Amino acid sequence: MTSLACQSLDISIAGKHICSNLHIELEPGQFWGLLGPNGIGKTTLLKCMAGLTEPDSGTVLLENQVIDKIPRRAIARLLGMLQQHTVYVFDASVLETAMTGRHPHLSYWEREGPQDKQKALDAIREVDLEGFEARSVTKLSGGEARRLAFAALMVQEPAILLLDEPTNHLDMKHQIRIMNQVENQVTHGQRCAMIALHDVNLAARYCSHTLMLFGDGGWQAGPVKELLNPENLERLYQCPVETLQTSAGLRFLPGG
Amino acid sequence: MIPTTLRRPLLIFLMLMSVGSIFLASASGSVSLGWSGWFTAIQDSSTQHGELIWRLRLPRAVAAWVVGSMLAMSGCLMQVLLRNPLADPYVLGVSGGAAFATLLGMVFGITVAFLPWLAILGALISILLVFGLARGTGPWSGTRLLLTGVVTASGWAALISLILSLSPDNSLRGMLFWLMGDLSYSTLPWWSLGVLAGSFILTLALARSLNVLAMGETTARLLGEPTRHMLWLVYLLASVLTATAVSIAGSIGFVGLIVPHLMRLLVGSDHRILIPAATLFGGLFLVLSDTLARTVLSPQQLPVGVITALLGVPLFLLLLNRARLKGV
Repeated sequence: MTSLACQSLDISIAGKHICSNLHIELEPGQFWGLLGPNGIGKTTLLKCMAGLTEPDSGTVLLENQVIDKIPRRAIARLLGMLQQHTVYVFDASVLETAMTGRHPHLSYWEREGPQDKQKALDAIREVDLEGFEARSVTKLSGGEARRLAFAALMVQEPAILLLDEPTNHLDMKHQIRIMNQVENQVTHGQRCAMIALHDVNLAARYCSHTLMLFGDGGWQAGPVKELLNPENLERLYQCPVETLQTSAGLRFLPGG
Repeated sequence: MIPTTLRRPLLIFLMLMSVGSIFLASASGSVSLGWSGWFTAIQDSSTQHGELIWRLRLPRAVAAWVVGSMLAMSGCLMQVLLRNPLADPYVLGVSGGAAFATLLGMVFGITVAFLPWLAILGALISILLVFGLARGTGPWSGTRLLLTGVVTASGWAALISLILSLSPDNSLRGMLFWLMGDLSYSTLPWWSLGVLAGSFILTLALARSLNVLAMGETTARLLGEPTRHMLWLVYLLASVLTATAVSIAGSIGFVGLIVPHLMRLLVGSDHRILIPAATLFGGLFLVLSDTLARTVLSPQQLPVGVITALLGVPLFLLLLNRARLKGV
């Protein structure tokens, strides 16, 4: 079972404290929502958890091994991350780009086989880009590029998914579609996910756990049921929060 | 872009055209042979015409092919390295170092046979200089490499201008020919074939990694590439190819920019097909350019760099215009 753990993690960037002494463990079947106001350091934390940047102190453990000691290739087979921005410079087709998710699974001279291609085609269909397979990635809209990047992540098939605002640039339908896919991966595929979000209600609807970053190193982590309440959200976003009882559960609105 | 099913036939076509272009080059020149004359001459290298073909024209055509393919491959690599489809093999100053060392050698009257080694030496100094200054300890920085390289290149350009302005008139012509790129005195050292073959195999082995690197450093790392090592390897490969090409024929312009760009338009950006296509077309393009350079004002010979630039500049402007229309 693949898990990702942060142990006494201290991260700061440009003199700003993102988290101090952070202890969390992502286990299979858990869907974490990472919440916090703009510029609080959610991206930096995710990058650190992916082993892309080093923390000031503490360790990130992937399958109980310190992540800096694992070769990138081995990490990429277990852990995938959707970055906040997706910019394509070179002309490649949508299918070729989705297929890059197979890269860590193939050896140097190996080419993608029919199975790999099928995985890519399935992922493209799942994000509603069917019929765009031969189109150049430089011609995609912001939302389409975003969905393609998500499809490539699905093709990579990592056990741990880190997603940095995957719903950016997406309309309501595609937001739900992507969240459903992640939820499906987590519950049926026994994977774990951490997802940076600004939409608290998406977190309320989908996530099992949440990590809140308050700034100045302060944080709180635990099950959504316990932590997602008006008091914590008011502290988090520094604005009044009202609740609305819906058939699906409690939802949150900015108050007056 | 051409359909995927036509990629293999395109490679075979380019291969046949390459061989054909070398034969064409061996048949054309200031001494006109005619096809039947060429056919009898090529069978017997001891005749006067046979010697002309086997000792002069064929080696020069093969040298042109090797130089062209090296520049094209180097261009592809530089474009990935700097993540810019408009980068060329000379942008980071490799050719500047080579040119400075060679011109300095010419000033001091060093024998022609030794000049390629000076070019290699100058290129190596430039590679190490840029490598040392841009490396630092932090993460890979393409911007730092680009800035260091471009500034180093302009430093070499200034030194080259200095030499040119101080040199006596009678040596200027040779220097200008060298700077523009010229194949008339080229000899093809055996090891350059090794450099070409070795880099080609290595680049092909890394081709899928190049596709991933072209998507940006962070994306490449997330997909399992040890990017810091990989990008330095790409830099060194591209530099060695450029240095070798420049030591054989001077700084022939535009091949390393136009050829990768044209091939991208034709076969797309998958390096598993782009690298062989650009390598073959680069060779073909330079053999044909050199044949033009030898024949267009025959018996007067032009430096091949003039032809590649005359063909390359309008082509490049056309491509740039297309890129502008696409909103790059």
